Amino acid sequence: MDDPLETWFKREVLSQEGALLRYLFRVWPRRDEVTDLRQETYARVLEAAASSRPAQPRAFLFAIARNLMADRIRRERVVSIEAVGDIDELHVLIEEVTPERSNIARQELKRLAAAFDLLPPKCRDVMWLRRVQEKSQKEVATEMGIKETTVEKHVSKAVRLLAKYMLGDSSSGEQTQSTEIAQEGNEHRTRQ
Amino acid sequence: MSIERANRIEQEAADWLARRDSASWSDNEQQAFDNWLQASSLNRAEYLRMEHVWEESLRLKALGAGLTSNRPPPAGRWIFSALMSPRTQFPSRPQMLSSIRFRVAAAATILLIAAGAYISAVGIYERGRYSTPVGKVTRIAIADGSHIILNTDSLIRVSLTAKARAVELRRGEAFFEVAKDPLRPFVVTAGSQRVIAVGTEFSVRREGSDAEIVVTEGKVRVEAGGPGSPIPPESLPAGSVAHAGQSGMLVKTEAVAMAEERLSWRNGVLIFHEATLADAAMKFNRFTSHKIVIRDPKVAEMRISGTFKATNSEAFVRLLEHGYPVHAEVTGGETVLESH
Repeated sequence: MDDPLETWFKREVLSQEGALLRYLFRVWPRRDEVTDLRQETYARVLEAAASSRPAQPRAFLFAIARNLMADRIRRERVVSIEAVGDIDELHVLIEEVTPERSNIARQELKRLAAAFDLLPPKCRDVMWLRRVQEKSQKEVATEMGIKETTVEKHVSKAVRLLAKYMLGDSSSGEQTQSTEIAQEGNEHRTRQ
Repeated sequence: MSIERANRIEQEAADWLARRDSASWSDNEQQAFDNWLQASSLNRAEYLRMEHVWEESLRLKALGAGLTSNRPPPAGRWIFSALMSPRTQFPSRPQMLSSIRFRVAAAATILLIAAGAYISAVGIYERGRYSTPVGKVTRIAIADGSHIILNTDSLIRVSLTAKARAVELRRGEAFFEVAKDPLRPFVVTAGSQRVIAVGTEFSVRREGSDAEIVVTEGKVRVEAGGPGSPIPPESLPAGSVAHAGQSGMLVKTEAVAMAEERLSWRNGVLIFHEATLADAAMKFNRFTSHKIVIRDPKVAEMRISGTFKATNSEAFVRLLEHGYPVHAEVTGGETVLESH
């Protein structure tokens, strides 16, 4: 019996985002296109898994990403095959690694905490009141003395940044990530 | 396929999530949101991504154990104490009474409605008894053209006469798609509660002598405490979720789409939005004789979001073990959840 598609997608696919991004960054020459590739890979996975769930989600996800890149290479003719590197690298065996469950839960909590700490200060305060204190957006607005629409904007920004920090990889490519984060922080401060 | 598109989709997904989380979420916005989701799998996937993160962020509570301050602790400082302690505490949630209009009877209005219909009835068109076993959901067509969906472990008695349509909900929960017939009101009795409709869609769940009513289309009238009760009857529009009992009625108004979601059992699934584990377990338990038992208050108060097959509580328990500080012990005919 299959789980509902949404539950399956969140558990099996989103948990692989870090690995997927690492893979895309390694093989795709234009780094600024990686978010777009990631989104289209997800969309294809969601469509393909609608009728039945693949037995090996991780391998399935990478196969779809690989096909997508191959399609784009064929269609655009902009990227040369050489640029993508040895095509065999795209076929690298993706193992289904399952670390111990209690470890996953703990790691996920740590990752959440770390991601939360990276939010700009206002976003962090809003998320604390909204998710830990469980106040409504309206109550958060009163508490912080800001407009409700501003709270909503902070929520939107927070969830977007959390997605990036939590799902994206934190173990490799740390250099680029921390640079981006520093930039976001600065950007936020200057706007305040 | 462009960088701008990728950024736009990410932004839109996050904006929709924030908008849905705000207080003013109208049916129009729900429609616009549905359209946006339908427009592309890219949108759907990206929204799931944001929703996942939003749901996960609730686990900050586990990290914020015992911290009741309105400000988060300084970055990096608070994490360790919470992660190091063997047991994570979940502070109890304040009652959200402010979001519910609490109504209690005021005037002593005595109403005699439709009671005579039974007596003067001549022709009996249908008299039947329908039930479902644990774990099954069934859709029944009755003689007047109405349909009834029976939830797990439910029992109704139907009586259609020339002048009245009466359903007695003896046990469980049922959803009614009532065929229009202004001359014969459709009356559902659950314990001492009565729900009256002409042509509309609503569900009634029996809880002892109380009842929970969800209206998804049209209007129904509810007589809390039954006819003769001092509580004035109340008309509930679509989107209402009401709890009718001896002492009065609690009514909450939601977007119709959200009310519909409460009735997801009709499709064999359970949908939770930050439901307590106690509540989620209770809903799963209706579908199986192998019960989930939670005695640990810390576990009972944890919150979960997601969509699950109603009959697959094993998968639900596995997920909990995977993502929450919860341990499941299967003993005899039940699964006991404890924090660890």
